Order: sequence, then C-alpha cells, then structure tokens
Amino acid sequence: MSLSVVQVDYKLSRSLIREVMDRSGQNLLACYQCRRCAAGCPVGDETGVTPDRLIRTIIFGDREKALSNLLVWKCVACYTCGSRCPNNIQTARINEALKEMGKEDHVEPLLPAVAAFHDNFMRSASHFGRINEIEFMGLYELQNTKREIKKGGGWKVVAGALKSSARLAVSMMKKKRLHFRLNRIRNLSEIKRLFRKAGNGPGG
Amino acid sequence: MQIAYYPGCSLHASSQLYDIQCRKVFRQLGIELKEIEDWNCCGATSAGKTDYFLSVALPARNLGIADSSGLSEMLIPCSSCYNRTLVSQKILSENHELKNRINTELSSKVEGKVKISSILDILVSRADSGEIAEKVTKKLEGLKPACYYGCLLTRFPADIKISDDVENPRGMEVVCKALGAEPLDWSYKTDCCGASAAVNDTETSLSLMAGILKDAVARGADCLVTTCPMCQMNMDAYQDRVCDMYGITTKLPVFFITELMGIAMGFTPEELEIDRHFVDCLGLLKGLKLV
Repeated sequence: MSLSVVQVDYKLSRSLIREVMDRSGQNLLACYQCRRCAAGCPVGDETGVTPDRLIRTIIFGDREKALSNLLVWKCVACYTCGSRCPNNIQTARINEALKEMGKEDHVEPLLPAVAAFHDNFMRSASHFGRINEIEFMGLYELQNTKREIKKGGGWKVVAGALKSSARLAVSMMKKKRLHFRLNRIRNLSEIKRLFRKAGNGPGG
Repeated sequence: MQIAYYPGCSLHASSQLYDIQCRKVFRQLGIELKEIEDWNCCGATSAGKTDYFLSVALPARNLGIADSSGLSEMLIPCSSCYNRTLVSQKILSENHELKNRINTELSSKVEGKVKISSILDILVSRADSGEIAEKVTKKLEGLKPACYYGCLLTRFPADIKISDDVENPRGMEVVCKALGAEPLDWSYKTDCCGASAAVNDTETSLSLMAGILKDAVARGADCLVTTCPMCQMNMDAYQDRVCDMYGITTKLPVFFITELMGIAMGFTPEELEIDRHFVDCLGLLKGLKLV
C-alpha cells in the first residue's frame, strides 16, 4: 500500500515564501487553512483556486503554479478574503505581488486582457496625470487587437472583442457619459518623476 | 463650512453627474466643497495590480496637496479613490522610509494630518444630527431602495478600522430613512460587481452582477442606490446584458445617493442630470409622484 505524500523541496519553498512575504507584506505562515477566505471569494467557484489554496501552493514552493493560476488573474480585488481572515492575511496583496513577480519572470499572463487593462490604465495615468477614458480604452483595445492578430485569431476574434467595447461606447455617448475634453494636470513632471521611481510600471 | 474635495478622474469624466450632484447637495447642507489644486489620478486598483510603489505614491501626492490646503477634512466620494487614498495614508504613517522617499519627489509634502472622509462618513453624521431631515422638502415616500455598498467603502487591503459594520454596513440606510425612503434588508449589499472585470473579464463580472440584481429584485426593491461610480456604471450600463443573459425581467434604476438626496431636497431631475442614466429613472420617480 502506498500513501500519497506531498513532496516539498524546503530550499525552494523557503525562498519563495520569503520573497512573497517581503513583497506583499503578508504573513503567509499565519494561515491555518480555516478557509473563511474561500467561503467568501466571489471568483473561487470559477477559478478552482481559492486564497487558502494559493497560500498552500506558495508554502509548498511551487513557483510555477503560484505565478500562473486563475486566481491571480481573476481576483476582482474585493478584499473579502482579507477582511474575513482571522489572521489578517490580505490575499489580494499576495495576488498583486505574484503579478509583479510573474511579469519580472516573463510569465505569460493567463488572462492577457486583464494585464492589458491595468497596464494601459497606468500608461494613461502617466501621460496626463489623470485618466482620459477614451485614450485609455483606445490603448487597451489596441493592445488586445495586436495580440489577437499576432496569435492568429484573425479579424473575427478582434471584431468580437471590439464590438463589446463599441457597444458600451455608443450607449455611453447617447447618455452623455463620454467625456471628450482632455483631463491633464499642470505639474506633470512630478507625476513623471514618481513613475520613473516605480519598480516596473510604465516608464519604470 | 469648507472641506477639501477630491473628485477623482471618473467624477470628471463618465460620472460627471455625481460631481455636479455632490456639489449641489453639500452646498444645501451648508458645506462648501473646495476641490484641491492640481490633483492626480489615485492609480485605483490598477496601480496595486501593477506597481506597489505607485499605488502608494500616486495618492500620496494628493495627500500632500490636501495637507497643505489648510483644511482639516477631505471628502472623496468615489469608493476606489477613497480606499486607495486612505490605504496610502495608513501605509505612510507606518513606513517612514517610504514616506521620506516619496516626499523627496513632492512639492507639497505628505504630513498625514488631513482626515479622509467617505461620502457616507459625512452624510451619516448629518442624518444623525437631524440636519438632513431639516432640508428635506419632499419625502421619498414609497421608494424602496436596496442600498448597495460594494467592496471598497468598507474593505481595505490594509488594517483600517471604519465606523460602520464591515459585513453589514447600515450607514446608507440611515441616510435613506432620513430622506423618508424605506430601504430594504438584503444579502448582497457588500458583494462585488466585478469592477474593471466588466471590461476585461466580462462573463465573470456579468455573473456577479446577476447575483446582486436577482437578490435586490427578489426582496422587492424598486431601485439600487450606491456611492461608488464604478458600481453605478456597471450595474447601470450592463444591466440590459445581465437581464438578457440571466432571465431577469425587472429592471432597477441605479441611483447615486446624491440623486435621492437631491430629489428629496427639491432639486429637479434636470438640475441633477438624472437623464444620464442607462436604466430609466424618471418613470419610477414620476410613478411615486416624487418629481
């Protein structure tokens, strides 16, 4: 009779735990797997990975799985897990740290549209100091389109994605919720300086 | 009295109506909102998801400007901006090295003294004191709102204590009652609408919105009321799609709290720009003879 046991390389696991803890500021080792976070996670059913599972993955030292799993990409940053954790662990912060680490390791985002959204939001913020929704959505759709063409998805896929955004834009315009004037701050050089100081964001 | 005001990007763009309503309603309460000079984008959730330093530094610049304004309190109506700014202030109060690093780049340094208030922080205190009821010229009789708080008004990615209950906040109900409405008890008041997932992971977001809408309808609500421009935009602009996809037959107007305040205070729908909604609001208000 054989028992299935979890194989853990302690050297690998120790360095991964340390890195995630340093970057996220969260004490992963305090997790005792009570799963209150799992019960409240709005995307847990869909991802199959709940915050407790993700923490376990990191503790087992499985870097590949930790950097590339659906929870990291589907997390809606609702902070329910953190507000319910009896040990005050903010898994949303862990997800954010894992995203940064994945980017540095050149791991392909599991949901590239999510990555493109946040990257281009920050790009738009860096251009004028405030978000210009039309510029931001334009940048975002452009990146999605380029990626789909490169992937060989063809125009059909591109058209489908663009249609959804166009539909929103048209109804927003009808309701006078599209803003055409440029939002820009005066002291833009200060914002540019902050972006230059950033770890890896656009302009970083 | 004067308080500092940080509108944030969405109140200067797609949710401009919220900005207009805030100014009108607060003036009626005797509070002048003084927009801080040359404020920048707080980075919202995107900064947190791409760069930790910027998620603290971008709100920090606004905090520095607010600190130097000489005003002791700052209203941030957008839940996301409120959340990020409060978190930045908390982090900087604990991490002096980071604070110094950021302050070297800023012309107005962060001191950490300005009190950050959500719109409910201020409105609930005015409801408790009776000041809101005093200004009501038309009671919102018969209106049954489901108060929708969403995520970022009560939950933070840091250890921050708020005056309301995290799991079952009731501040918005207090304000609605002061206006004469009958807010309902329901289960989805702090559930997530998906926020930016509506754009970048639409199916996920639509299913979250369906849960919220279904419960509100099942409880007999005739509208949703919110303080968050992201929640408002999602629940309003995507409601047709949610209803089609999940077989929901009742549509609910999605009000900003300032719209209910404004109507109760006697402003016209035109003054409040209520026509800028996706789901029609006027039918309900007219049916109840509120406009």
